[in-house]
Amino acid sequence: MNAPPPSGFALYRPRAVAVGAREGTPITVGDRRLRVEAIREEWLIEDRWWTREVLRRHYFELVLEGGRCLTVFHDLAGGGWFEQRAF
Amino acid sequence: MSNAPSSYVELHAHSAFSFLDGASLPEELAATAARLGYEAIALTDHDGIWGSMEHAQACRGLGVRPITGTELTVAAPGFPLPSEPYRGNCPPGCFHLTLLVETPSGYRNLCRLLTIAHAHTRGWTDRDELGEPAAPSARRHDLIHPALPFSELQRHSEGLVCLSGCAGDGALAGRVRRGDHRGAERIGRRLLAIFGPDHLRVELQRPLWHGDRSRNRRLVELARILGVPAIATGNVHYHDRRRAPLQDALLAARMLGTLESTEPHRRGNGACFLAPAERMAERFSEHPDAVIETGRLAQRLRFDLNRDLGYRYPGSEDPDADRDLLAACRARFGERYDGTPERAEAERRLEEELRVIAGLGLSGFFLLHRDLLELAREVAVEVRGASAARALLPPGRGRGSSVSSVVCYLTGLSHVDPVKAGLFLGRFLNEEITEAPDIDLDFPRDVREVLIPRIGERYGAERAALVAAFPTYRSRGAVRDLGSALGLPQGEIERVARSVDVYGSGELERELAEAIGERRARSERWLALVGLAHESRGLPRHASQHPGGMVLSTSPLIDLCPTVPAAMEGRRIVQWDKDSCADAGFLKIDLLGLGMLSAVERTVDEVARARGEQIDLSRIPLDDPEVYAAIKRAETTGVFQIESRAQMQMLPRSLPENIEDLTVQVALVRPGPIQGGAVHPYLERKRRLREDPDYAVPYEHPSLEPILSDTLGAIVFQDQVIQVAMALAGFSAGEAEGLRRAMSRKRSAEALDAYRERFVTGAIANGVELEVAERVYDQVKGFAGFGFPKSHAAAFGLLAYQSTWLRVHYGPEFLCALLNEQPMGFYPPDALAHEAQRRGITVLGPHVNRSDVFCLTEPQGDRGGLAVRTGLGYVAGLARADAEAVMAERRERGPYVDLADLAARSGASRDGLERLAWANACSGLSGRLPDANSDPTAGSRRADLWSLGIARGARHFGSSEQLALPLPLPEAPELAPQTPWERVTSDYAATGLSLAMHPLALMRPELDPATASSADLVRIADGAPITIAGMTVARQRPATANGVVFMLLEDEWGMTNVVILPPVYERHRLLIRTAGFVSVVGRLERREGVVNVLAEHLVELERPDLPLAEVRQIEPAAERETGGRIADLGAVLPAAHSFGRRGR
Repeated sequence: MNAPPPSGFALYRPRAVAVGAREGTPITVGDRRLRVEAIREEWLIEDRWWTREVLRRHYFELVLEGGRCLTVFHDLAGGGWFEQRAF
Repeated sequence: MSNAPSSYVELHAHSAFSFLDGASLPEELAATAARLGYEAIALTDHDGIWGSMEHAQACRGLGVRPITGTELTVAAPGFPLPSEPYRGNCPPGCFHLTLLVETPSGYRNLCRLLTIAHAHTRGWTDRDELGEPAAPSARRHDLIHPALPFSELQRHSEGLVCLSGCAGDGALAGRVRRGDHRGAERIGRRLLAIFGPDHLRVELQRPLWHGDRSRNRRLVELARILGVPAIATGNVHYHDRRRAPLQDALLAARMLGTLESTEPHRRGNGACFLAPAERMAERFSEHPDAVIETGRLAQRLRFDLNRDLGYRYPGSEDPDADRDLLAACRARFGERYDGTPERAEAERRLEEELRVIAGLGLSGFFLLHRDLLELAREVAVEVRGASAARALLPPGRGRGSSVSSVVCYLTGLSHVDPVKAGLFLGRFLNEEITEAPDIDLDFPRDVREVLIPRIGERYGAERAALVAAFPTYRSRGAVRDLGSALGLPQGEIERVARSVDVYGSGELERELAEAIGERRARSERWLALVGLAHESRGLPRHASQHPGGMVLSTSPLIDLCPTVPAAMEGRRIVQWDKDSCADAGFLKIDLLGLGMLSAVERTVDEVARARGEQIDLSRIPLDDPEVYAAIKRAETTGVFQIESRAQMQMLPRSLPENIEDLTVQVALVRPGPIQGGAVHPYLERKRRLREDPDYAVPYEHPSLEPILSDTLGAIVFQDQVIQVAMALAGFSAGEAEGLRRAMSRKRSAEALDAYRERFVTGAIANGVELEVAERVYDQVKGFAGFGFPKSHAAAFGLLAYQSTWLRVHYGPEFLCALLNEQPMGFYPPDALAHEAQRRGITVLGPHVNRSDVFCLTEPQGDRGGLAVRTGLGYVAGLARADAEAVMAERRERGPYVDLADLAARSGASRDGLERLAWANACSGLSGRLPDANSDPTAGSRRADLWSLGIARGARHFGSSEQLALPLPLPEAPELAPQTPWERVTSDYAATGLSLAMHPLALMRPELDPATASSADLVRIADGAPITIAGMTVARQRPATANGVVFMLLEDEWGMTNVVILPPVYERHRLLIRTAGFVSVVGRLERREGVVNVLAEHLVELERPDLPLAEVRQIEPAAERETGGRIADLGAVLPAAHSFGRRGR
């Protein structure tokens, strides 16, 4: 049933990031092409379709080689990958 | 992966029957499931199985196995039930469970659980029966959110499979999501104790939200602890991804918010569509076993509503029913038929019918109907009181196909002798019927209001309930709901909602631009609205009650379909609408409230009161020449059925001469015969027969002559369709009835095509030529719109005759009855009153010393004449208590001598007195005579209001009103008289009637001198140019008229019918849709005694003067009523019959 989508956390302004992906799923991240070790979470936000700023983002919460966690999203509306850290 | 992708079965899906939390119809889900190759699909709407029968029917036709279920709101252990309306997803203290039916006993349990979950949802419900207190704080009629007390699960768990609920609010997932793992385990163990390991599954969902993966890992761990399998579900909310925006907007509409404000409650993405099985397997790639489990469980869920409902007709268990029915019929047979020429035929029909009825096991059903009628008789005596006049009338009358049965005639269900009237039984009863025949009974409104709850009491809340109805989105409602969701300005929304065509499909964009301007109409949000409005078309918005359909059952109804309390106190509704009830084979009776039946009864009562005459309507002559003369001249305003604009256009051409002609007449002006092309052949052949009695009516095929001879070869009645299919194409009675049903369903195009081949092949086999077979089939198919069975038309034709008879012989009483039964019929009260005035009936305004609450007749002159006195009920905004107080005091201690007397004695509120004065109902009591010296009817409302201001004292004194003292009042100063226009305007504002003068009479001097009046039309030649002006009484754009619009204009002499062809309509669309007064330039058309004006150009008329600004200071609070300034006549004009509804 309908339920509040994730809440209780906010996001920094997104920054473009280089992502190597296969079938929409990230494999490497960053200019140094750090390998994606694991996908902790994956979610989709599609909103504001009634405005000029349509929001369609496929988010991934990744664990990169070396253990660093990173949240990236694929902008399905405008194209491109972005990094967006939670705080 | 080990699992075959196709093993996924969707076990959690919502349709639009989750009411504003689902954006597809069950048949759309079923069709998509079939396309994707699903072997089965469950429908699990919120707290109901409203759409389950549609789901089952749709699936059956597509080879998909329907699974019945629900997503039930449950109050957590230790939490109270919701006591307030709640518009969010899940009320506080509650969680969701997904319940799926495995066995017939599981289905019964589901129905009971849903019934219990709704028991507290209306403030009026008495929870004592069910052992719970009524919800205390909710207002009586608000819909409180349904929820099941957790303790009830235990008693009704057998045969149900429980999935642990959705990702957001599910019993387990909701707790896991909030981090309450221990709470989740606790609830899990309780569910396990109730359902057992075979019937509990931990539900995993992937709505593609943040936290999906960790939540599902926790849930799988919990499943391991509980020792039950986890299962994957999709929580589908629409069949196609493209409906995601509509889902968002509907949810915002449900929460009465905007898309922005409801963001936390919306689903957040478009992931919950019905996805291909492989996609679902991919989404759950971490939990392949949970995917396999869907197919495994679905294999067990074999309950099918199409097959396993187990309904039996009430009375079918009575072994003596056949004998009792025979005895009941025999008891009346002699009285009805002895000594009549129909006796032998009636005897034969009776035996045949009783044989068919016994063979179908329906004898008990007919006895039950007789019992119902007895109950109705008791209620009627109670409601009508001691009135001897009304006591002569039967409590109700049959309509519809039951009128064709001799058994119904003898048991009192129908009042038409079917043998004498030559009615065909097949539609009502035949040996192949698969569902109970419908019996429709018409009742006067007041009898019906009491009868419905009484039936509930007699048969018990568990065995009787009303049928549900589902109002669906059409463009007007969609614009309002979805426009608000999009956050568009309310003013613009209203403008658009009022000016868009309710039924026009492809024109919303253009109408939008007209209403709010091209630029606005191109903005993102308005564009979004256009798309959403299209998508939402036909989706159910909420559940309500059918006006009078009831289902009865011998076994508790709540084992067959859940019942829920209706908004009206004491009434319960089943969760299925009439189509679903018919598919379930439920016995249903339609108890219809018919305004005209009430009006006819009121007339009979009033005639008895005013003249001391007793009228027995069943004995009035059916061949009164005066009545037919009036009908032929289309002088039928106010009578039943044949009063509409379209009927009046036809009467001078069809020239009905007897009750059989009237039977055809009421059936002719229906979409079925019109689209089937029956009207013109019928009129033409009738004309030729009049001119040449030897004229031979042509028939498409000799086999059709006996069937269509009454209607001169045209298909006018629904039962003729059945008979034609049987005679021409060799259909069996059951097949032909199937064809009729296919024609009457909401979405029937495909079903109907299947019959075409069968029809044509059958006809050719009977030696009919292909061309003839196809032509006749097209007539049959054209009929698909809507038509009356002959029996129904016979009942309606009789009522049309009776009401015309009353109109002709008892005009004032009949007008009173019509005015008292409003809203009803085609014309607003103002037009009814004007028409009566033109016939010489005096209609007087309301008066505190003369009027009752209702309109009554009063003696006029000394030759026994009667005038109509408007009731105080017509005074706009007057509280009923005030009206009754004024009357009671007058009856007790005599008429009021002056205003001071009225103010002191009547006990009416200050507001009430002002409204009365403003309605001219205190005329003559201020001691000052009418404002305009020359016109004694002008009234004295200004002086009255002024004096009342003194008499009634200060508006408020502390917390209460100051007492009025019966002191002599000073005479009102000289107040400026109301201008005639002001009088008309205030008459309309105060009573909705302008009795003293017609606005057009006031406009006439200002009009172009070339403007003709409706009285001039008889003298103007066919084809001559004409200008005519009038007040809009009706605007119509019939679906059957190819875009032609009709306007009915009224002036001081009568009505004029204006025909507007599409190009003219396009040029003047806004004016035609909104103007109260118009002037039309065009040409006169005269055809067979019918006069129309074919419009070429239209102009809106403005009122000729403007009121004096300072006068408004003493105008009363009536402004509150109309929401506008009284000076604005447009705001107070009576509601016109505007495109299918009464409204401005």
